[in-house]
Amino acid sequence: MSEKLLKVDDLKMYFHTRDGVVKAVNGVSYELDGNQTLGIVGESGSGKSVTAMTIMRLISMPPGKVEGGTVTFKGQNLLELPEEKMRDIRGNEIAMIFQDPMTSLNPVYRVGRQLSEPLRIHKGAGKKEALERSIELLRLVGIPNPEQRVKDYPHQFSGGMRQRVMIAMALACDPDILIADEPTTALDVTIQAQIIELMQAVQKRTGSAIIMITHDLGVVADMADNVLVMYAGHPVEYGTTEEVFHQPSHPYTWGLMGSLPRADMTEKSSLKPIDGMPPSLIDLPSGCTFHPRCPYAQDICKAKVPETKSIGGLHTASCHFAGDPGFSREEMEKELNR
Amino acid sequence: MSDLLEINDLVKYFKVDGSSFSGKKETVKAVDGVSFSVQKGKTLGLVGESGCGKSTTGRTFMRLLEPTSGSVTFEGRDVLKMNRKELKAFRREVQIIFQDPYASLNPRFTVGEIVEEPLIIHKIGTKKERKARVKELLEIVGLNPEHINRYSHEFSGGQRQRIGIARALALEPKLIVCDEPVSALDVSIQAQILNLLEDLQDRYGIAYLFIAHDLSVVQHISDDVAVMYLGRIVEKSSWRDLYESPNHPYTQSLLSAVPIPDPDIQTSRERILLVGDPPSPIDPPSGCHFHTRCPIAQEICSKESPELKEVTPGHLCACHFSKPYPIPPEIAAQTIAAPGEFHPE
Repeated sequence: MSEKLLKVDDLKMYFHTRDGVVKAVNGVSYELDGNQTLGIVGESGSGKSVTAMTIMRLISMPPGKVEGGTVTFKGQNLLELPEEKMRDIRGNEIAMIFQDPMTSLNPVYRVGRQLSEPLRIHKGAGKKEALERSIELLRLVGIPNPEQRVKDYPHQFSGGMRQRVMIAMALACDPDILIADEPTTALDVTIQAQIIELMQAVQKRTGSAIIMITHDLGVVADMADNVLVMYAGHPVEYGTTEEVFHQPSHPYTWGLMGSLPRADMTEKSSLKPIDGMPPSLIDLPSGCTFHPRCPYAQDICKAKVPETKSIGGLHTASCHFAGDPGFSREEMEKELNR
Repeated sequence: MSDLLEINDLVKYFKVDGSSFSGKKETVKAVDGVSFSVQKGKTLGLVGESGCGKSTTGRTFMRLLEPTSGSVTFEGRDVLKMNRKELKAFRREVQIIFQDPYASLNPRFTVGEIVEEPLIIHKIGTKKERKARVKELLEIVGLNPEHINRYSHEFSGGQRQRIGIARALALEPKLIVCDEPVSALDVSIQAQILNLLEDLQDRYGIAYLFIAHDLSVVQHISDDVAVMYLGRIVEKSSWRDLYESPNHPYTQSLLSAVPIPDPDIQTSRERILLVGDPPSPIDPPSGCHFHTRCPIAQEICSKESPELKEVTPGHLCACHFSKPYPIPPEIAAQTIAAPGEFHPE
């Protein structure tokens, strides 16, 4: 039996605040194999980052609380692991790249020391050995003149270079899973292209799995094998990249695609935005959380939480009508225009 | 077609402290000889990466910053020679929408006060008339006029941007400078704001100078697009020409770097990877500013600065080898093979 590298099953993470319970992640499931890239897309507040932080156990509890679900990594449930054991996994077997390369590096330590830290802690490397490996890592991520650069402080690097340092640090212990939380959002497009190319090259070389968290469907189309679309803490659609892009089956996914201007268009066409705003996570709408903004909502959508429906292959969508004949983006938009 | 705004050879240098030992002052060449015009009721997109001077261009021609040199003509009037009174009248016709809808609204003002302020400054209407106008404006931008007494923190990012738009509309301007108006917003909200801006242009014939880093957004909203790199315009054309026959290697790499939300296109197309980071505008490279990262740079590029010349009618490009070349595949392959190679100037 082939066991998945990572299996997240019905994960629920709530925050108990003075104003009420924030249901940040509400029943997320996915699987990941080595050498695979999973793209998690969603807008701000959709719970995509919290999902990742929960896997890494980086959420302080309280106020956070896991209300259900399991995270199985190599056969063990990470959510029940004692903190010491978790520490052996974090940064070693599962590593994370954060969004903001400006604030995630320590400004008072040299880059070499920061790169050496995971090696010394997890691999028991000596000071000299760790520094040598750091130089190697910097070279791997395409930083010129690494022998000199290890002695520099983070402020001496540009934004793109800092993100490369972050990637080098995450790669230090050859992790099985690399979680990248919006790694290119703070960067210019030409630099973003460099970083994406780098991550793909690294994956080819090390065979690690990547979880790519982003709000940019373009980045997902570029990198991901599988896609998970999230809305208000819920996964609304999941499938291979081809399935989700060619046959999107949830009205929210249609809305996202209709909202995106494309640089490669040849005719001007108006955007079809989603009306309204994302709901408050404290006071979620009844039934399907998307129903107040969904142009195709029926009575059942208000009354009943939709089940996750299988559409074929890996492809699932949480919509009452997903997979029904005629319930496709083109058909429904035609109907709406009528 | 009549030019509403014409900018010629606009230059803005900032003096900054250089080395603390020598005490020598250094110059940031933020805008280094930029020329363009905006037509009545049309949109010119100004696109470029951070630090290329696109926002400074917007602020300098409005004289929110005093330009170092150049000329700016608005409806035949010389903006740079205007006195205080004339400038005030000019600013009534040119308004600006800012990027950050959190920082650009006064948290101590109600929405009504924010939108009314320009009317008070320009002494328009009685108190009652102004209030009616504010309500009308809120309605135009898709906000509930009953929320006139709320404070900006009670609104979401997209709604705040609508407040900023209502404020800009208050004086019925002929030109609105949109400085990254949607980059802080989520995609679904971003599309709402873009549609609103297009709708307002159709209704009131307002011209936009649309400044953004996101080429897909700029392509979507603009009639013409100017691409900036390190303080200079490197290419300018209609939006369609820019996509169909980009001439400048920077435009080409920019286009190839923008992710397209379609896995088939995305995995099959060639990506031209630029090496290194954009150089500092304090000491920009000699000759063509782009030559240090350019995949087809030749000797002349480091020596002579290319002029912005017409390649086809209405299509301008500043490159010594200006032609709609696709970058030769062998060169493109080279740059992809060596990511992060650094070319120190």
